[in-house]
Amino acid sequence: MAADVHKKKSWEVPNGSLAPGDGQHAERSESPTPGLAQGTEPGAGQEGAMFVHTRSYEDLTSPEDGAAVARSPEERRGEPAEQSSMEQISKDFSELSTQLTGIALDLEEEMRPGKEGKLEPSPQTNRRDSVLSGKEEEDVTMDAWRMHRKHVFVLSEAGKPVYSRYGSEEALSSTMGVMMALVSFLEAEKNAIRSIHADGYKVVFVRRSPLVLVAVARTQQSEQEIAHELLYIYYQILSLLTWTQLNHIFQQKQNYDLRRLLAGSERITDNLLDLMAHDPSFLMGAVRCLPLAASVRDAVSSSLQQAKAKSLVFSILLSGNQLVSLVRKKDQFLHPIDLHLLFNLISSSSSFREGEAWTPICLPKFNSSGFFHAHISYLEQEMDLCLLLVSTDREDFFTVSDCKRRFQERLRRRGVHHALQEALRTPFYSVAQVGIPDLRHFIYKSKSSGLFTSPEIEAPYVQEEEKERLLGLYQYLHSRAHNSSRPLKNIYFTGPRENLLAWVTNAFELYVCYSPLGTKAGAINAVNKLMKWIRKEEDRLFILTPQTY
Amino acid sequence: MSGRRVDAKVVLLGQEGVGKSSLVERCAHRRFRPGPYQNTIGAAFVAKVMTVGDQTVTLGIWDTAGSERYEAMSRIYYRGARAAIVCYDLTDSGSYQRAKFWVNELQNCEEGCRIYLCGTKSDLLEEDRRKRGVDFHDVQDYADEIKADLFETSSKTGQSVDELFQKVAEDYVNFSAFQVMTEDKAVNLDQRNSPYFYSCCHH
Ligand SMILES: Nc1nc2c(ncn2[C@@H]2O[C@H](COP(=O)(O)OP(=O)(O)OP(=O)(O)O)[C@@H](O)[C@H]2O)c(=O)[nH]1
Ligand SMILES: [Mg+2]
Repeated sequence: MAADVHKKKSWEVPNGSLAPGDGQHAERSESPTPGLAQGTEPGAGQEGAMFVHTRSYEDLTSPEDGAAVARSPEERRGEPAEQSSMEQISKDFSELSTQLTGIALDLEEEMRPGKEGKLEPSPQTNRRDSVLSGKEEEDVTMDAWRMHRKHVFVLSEAGKPVYSRYGSEEALSSTMGVMMALVSFLEAEKNAIRSIHADGYKVVFVRRSPLVLVAVARTQQSEQEIAHELLYIYYQILSLLTWTQLNHIFQQKQNYDLRRLLAGSERITDNLLDLMAHDPSFLMGAVRCLPLAASVRDAVSSSLQQAKAKSLVFSILLSGNQLVSLVRKKDQFLHPIDLHLLFNLISSSSSFREGEAWTPICLPKFNSSGFFHAHISYLEQEMDLCLLLVSTDREDFFTVSDCKRRFQERLRRRGVHHALQEALRTPFYSVAQVGIPDLRHFIYKSKSSGLFTSPEIEAPYVQEEEKERLLGLYQYLHSRAHNSSRPLKNIYFTGPRENLLAWVTNAFELYVCYSPLGTKAGAINAVNKLMKWIRKEEDRLFILTPQTY
Repeated sequence: MSGRRVDAKVVLLGQEGVGKSSLVERCAHRRFRPGPYQNTIGAAFVAKVMTVGDQTVTLGIWDTAGSERYEAMSRIYYRGARAAIVCYDLTDSGSYQRAKFWVNELQNCEEGCRIYLCGTKSDLLEEDRRKRGVDFHDVQDYADEIKADLFETSSKTGQSVDELFQKVAEDYVNFSAFQVMTEDKAVNLDQRNSPYFYSCCHH
C-alpha cells in the first residue's frame, strides 16, 4: 500500500511533469479545428494552468486502468464510428432514454437479507431525517425514487460499517457482512475494482485498504464511472482524516469503529453523492467558472494575489459550485478533485455562514499525509461568495484572517464590488445566447486548463428527474468516449427525445444536446458555430490568466 | 493564536451537540436557530466587544467542534485561552463526563485559564423536571473543587447567557491586571512549511 502511494506521488505531485509548462502556446486559432494542439483550445489558460493536469477521470482509477486508455492515432471527425459499437450505443441509448424515467424496482427489497430482515426501507426512519426532515417531507416521492437508484456503503476491511447512504449502518450490518464476504472472494489484489452485473443493476466494489467501498446502482453509469464516484467518497474520508491517520488507526486496531471519528460528517458525504448526481463537474473532472467580465475577474484575482501571506498556498473565491478566482503559490498546483471536495464541504454546511471557520483539512490529491488549515468565510451575509484561504500553518489564523480583510479592502478600492454583485445575480447563462435554435444544452471542457463551461439546464429538462436524465445521457456518452478498450472520438445519436453529440480530442471535450428535430449535418454545423461562440466568450467563461503569489 | 485584535481568548469546549454554537449565536446575535443541527467543522472564531464598567474588552471566542475527530488538534484552539467555557447538556449525563475530560485537559495544559462550567438547554428542564440528567449539587461541588464558576443556561430563552459572558469579561478585567502576560510561543518551526500532523500533550 505504501508503495502504491509512492507510485502515485510521482505523477500527482503538484509540480510533476504532467502539469503543462508555460510558453507552449501557439497562436490561438479563430475557428478551432480538431487538430488544435492542447493549450490553444478555447478556455486554455494563457499563462499556464491552475490545476494539476488530469486526463479526465481516468487517473482516479488505479494507474493500471489509466495506462490502458488507448490514444486513438488520429481524428476521424465526421466518419461514422465502428458499426458494431454504433449498434451497441443505439441499443444502450434507447434503454437509457426509457429506463431512466421508468420506475425502478425496489432494490431495498432485493438488498434485504430475508423477508424479516431488520432493514428499514422507510425514509422516515432514516438516520438523517432528523436533520433534513423539512426537505424530506416535501419530497418523499423524489427521495424514494433516488433512494432506489444508488446505494453506497463504506466498510472497513474487517467488515465493520463505516457509512451507508440510506438507512443506518447498524441495520445494514448483515448486508455488509455479505458484501465483505463477496469482496474477499473477489479480491485477488488490493486496490482493484470489481463489479457484479445482475438483472438491471451493478454492484461495484472498490478496495482502498483499509476501506472497502460498495455501490449498488440501478443507473446506466458504467462500472468505471460508479467506481469513480466511490473513489470520491474515499477521498472525502481522507480529507477529514488523512491517509496516514486512517492507516495508523487500523494498524493499531483492525476492528476499529471508524464511525466514532466520522460522526457528524455523514452530511458531507451525503451531499457529495447528491452533488455528483446533478453537477457535471465530477464527471468532467473539471471546474466550472462563474461567468464574469475579464476585467472584473482580473481585479478580483489581483486583489486576492495582493492579500497574500507567507503560509498561504491557495486563495480561492467561489460562488455556489463555481469558481470565481484562484490564486496559488508558485509551483503549487491544486488538483480538481481536491477543489471539488472543498466545494462540497462548503456547500454541505451552513455553519460557515457564521464567523470565521478555521479548520484542518487534508487535500488528498495534493498530499494525503497531512493537514492544511483552511480559513473559510463568506464575504457578506447575504452574498453567495465564499472565501477559502488554505494555509500550511495552523498557528497563523490571525495573519490569514487579516488577508481576508485586506482582500475585501482592495475589492472596495478597485470598485469591483458592485460588478461582482451583478454577476452573482445571474450565475448561469442561457443557451439562447449562443443563437442556435436546435441547441438545448452543452458541456465544453478545455483539457489544458481543467475548466469547463455549460449553460443553465433549461426546458424541457425542468423536473429534477429530467435534469438527472440529461446528466445520465452525458455520463453515458462520456463513458463511451472514454471506454478503455475502445474509446470513441465522435458519437452522434438521434433519439426520440433529443439528439446528442460527443466530440473528444486531445485538447477538448464537447458534449452537445439538441432538440430531436435537427439533422446530423445541422448538428455538425452547430458545433462549429458553438465553438466559435465559446472562443468569442472565452475570457468571460474561463479564467485565462491565472495568478500566483 | 492569541492575536492582537482581541484582548482575551475564550474557548468553548464540550461534546458535540451540547449547544456551544448556539451559545455563541445567542451571545453574538441574540438569536436562536431551532432549525436542523449543523455540527461545527474545525472551529469558528467570533470577536465580541464587551463593556466592563468604563472599559471595553474584546473577547476572541473560539467555538470548537465537539466531534472526536478534532480532539487531537484541540490544543491549537485552547492554547493561551484566558477563559474556557466547558459545556455539557443538562439532560445528558454522558456529556457531563465528557466535560470533566476537558477540565482535566485544561488543568494539565493551560494553568492560566479560568474555567466556567456551563450546563446547557435549561429550557428543556422547565418543560419537564425529570429530564435533568446531571445533578446540580454534584456539579456545584465539582465546580468548587476545581475553582470554576457554574452557570445553567438556555440559548433558546437566553437564560443566563449574557451573565455568563459578562462574568468572563469582568473576570478578565479584574484578574488580568495582576497577571503576568504569558504568551505561548511554542510553535514547532520544523513543521512550518509543510502540511503536518497535530500532536497534543495528552497523546
Ligand atoms: N432546547 C434547546 N435546544 C438547544 C439549546 N442549545 C442548543 N440546542 C440544540 O442542540 C443542537 C446542537 O446545538 P449546537 O449549538 O449546534 O451544538 P454544538 O455544541 O455546537 O455541536 P458541535 O458543533 O457538533 O460540537 C441543535 O439542534 C440546537 O438547536 C437550548 O438552549 N435549548
Ligand atoms: Mg458547534
